[in-house]
Amino acid sequence: MSTLKHKGKGPQSMTANELRDGYSVWLDENLDWTRDFSAALRTEDLDLIDRMQLKADTDEKANIVVGIYFIDIETESGMPVRYREKFRVNGPSYDTADLLEAK
Amino acid sequence: MYRYDEFDAQLVADRTRQFRTQVERRLAGRLSEAEFRPLRLMNGLYLQLHAYMLRVAVPYGTLNSEQFRMLAHLAEKYDRGYGHITTRQNMQFNWPKLPDVPDMLDDLASVQMHAIQTSGNCIRNVTCDPYAGATAEEIEDPRPMAELIRQWSTLHPEFTFLPRKFKIAVTASEKDRALIKAHDIGIQIVKNDDGDVGYKIFVGGGLGRTPIIGQVLRNYLPKGELLAYLTAALRVYNRYGRRDNKYKARIKILVQETGIETFTEQVEAEYKTIDISDISVSDAERERITSYFAAPDFETLKHDPSEFTKALEGNRAFSLWAKNNVAAHKASGYAIVNISLKPKDLAPGDITATQMRAVSDMADTYSFGELRSTHQQNLVLPHVKQSDLPALFAELEAAGLAADNINLISDIICCPGMDFCALATARSIPVSQAIAERFADPERQRTIGEMQIKISGCINACGHHHVGHIGILGLEKAGVEFYQVKLGGDASEDAAIGKVTGPGFSQEELVDGIERMVDFYLETREGSERFLDTYRRIGITPFKEVLYA
Repeated sequence: MSTLKHKGKGPQSMTANELRDGYSVWLDENLDWTRDFSAALRTEDLDLIDRMQLKADTDEKANIVVGIYFIDIETESGMPVRYREKFRVNGPSYDTADLLEAK
Repeated sequence: MYRYDEFDAQLVADRTRQFRTQVERRLAGRLSEAEFRPLRLMNGLYLQLHAYMLRVAVPYGTLNSEQFRMLAHLAEKYDRGYGHITTRQNMQFNWPKLPDVPDMLDDLASVQMHAIQTSGNCIRNVTCDPYAGATAEEIEDPRPMAELIRQWSTLHPEFTFLPRKFKIAVTASEKDRALIKAHDIGIQIVKNDDGDVGYKIFVGGGLGRTPIIGQVLRNYLPKGELLAYLTAALRVYNRYGRRDNKYKARIKILVQETGIETFTEQVEAEYKTIDISDISVSDAERERITSYFAAPDFETLKHDPSEFTKALEGNRAFSLWAKNNVAAHKASGYAIVNISLKPKDLAPGDITATQMRAVSDMADTYSFGELRSTHQQNLVLPHVKQSDLPALFAELEAAGLAADNINLISDIICCPGMDFCALATARSIPVSQAIAERFADPERQRTIGEMQIKISGCINACGHHHVGHIGILGLEKAGVEFYQVKLGGDASEDAAIGKVTGPGFSQEELVDGIERMVDFYLETREGSERFLDTYRRIGITPFKEVLYA
């Protein structure tokens, strides 16, 4: 079992990284993992948070994701509270790969 | 170039085969992440902010063109088309996928490369003067000694689980291009009063959250005793280094807490217990290794040939580039060429696969197939005929690699920062780009002269901000990035840690403040003083006043 239980304040989302590709993912309303944060489930419902924890634990054991943890969500913006988590949502503000793709 | 012997080849082949099965077991669920994590880290594979990151070792920063082409291949086939030169002369790939990594390691092994010991609490990849074997300033080529240390330290059973990581840098010149005094151990090849070649050993240097300049452990160590002496030093560290607090676990803390005199006594006492003949390397073996680094067959050439001097007179862009990016070579008619990876709009140290192939071709055509990576996140072609410089410059221009800013204000060292790194607290790449943009005028850069700006996105200091003439540390509070400034750091043989100026700035305020300091320096400097010289002459106070004006 993960030791990273919900300890946050306000709305929560569950996040992790995909085991195979390493990309950041979040649980959506169907409790499936999505790379698109806009589809992430944000909730203060404690029963739902328990289900998210259970699902994340299960998927971590099933080697689908690694490093599960809850993140605090800003009520108004719906974005993560922590600066670091905002970066995980938005991706790098600069990546040489983007220039190559633009070419 | 060193070529793997049968033991090296077998070791790397075994290691990649082991890692393939470890990845298979991880993906099949037979290894947990807790079990797998130390295994992947031992093979240079990190899980960063957005994805995995593979750090490939470039031993002592020396590459051949075939190896660089392979790095281009990895960038294109398994990553997103580019690689990043680190401040330890390695190359990182930011977007590999776990199932692909064993194939990447196999491909690397095919050109005698690997990712072993680019992570973990072991002796890391040895770094070196990128001008090794090419500069007249050196007593001898330091790479055979670096290679000896590589062989000794690779999977060393006694030093695989040290209290913390351990970094060694080597040089053979008084002019320090390897930052040896900011390493756990720094080694300088020296001559004693009798003219015998040996080693001066520095210990306890490092950057990170506790920056310390290394102190002399031994003024002169005879050549045959290096590995035995390193063993003694590592044993003392392994025995007494703190394991209760990772932030106090580096050897620099041990040396500070013990005192250099007592620490030296402990090393010398340990050294007396070692049978040097057990571990010392024979002259024949040293000569065998040295033979792999024999100088290329330099032609007998005239210094400053007409092809070169005419181009200097007739091509202003070439002339400016040659003045900044080309250094003196030990052989007449040859030059050392620095390739800047700091064009204005790109991330410092990034190079695309296409550019890697272009540089590989240039290395083959102009530099005996050799190139180097530098801790300043640039590349070096070590052996170029002066007469070939105009043609090489044209090829660099075509490849987008002709930035003529080596050692100027836009030649910024910069860690990946919050854009990629899981440890970062703020971004560093956009800051470097904003500074480069503000000082984009090449004429202005040349007027300012030598200037080393170094940026770290967190207190771990991978961007070497403590030793920047201007050092910048990115931090974050309540979701807002801010940047602290240090002044007066020095990464040279006169190594010094910069002093913090005071409270931090937003990015915009920071760039304005730097510009005010630079303008103040230009008004205040005397003669040919660099920014650092003026700072040393007048002190921090006047610079702080304009920084916070």
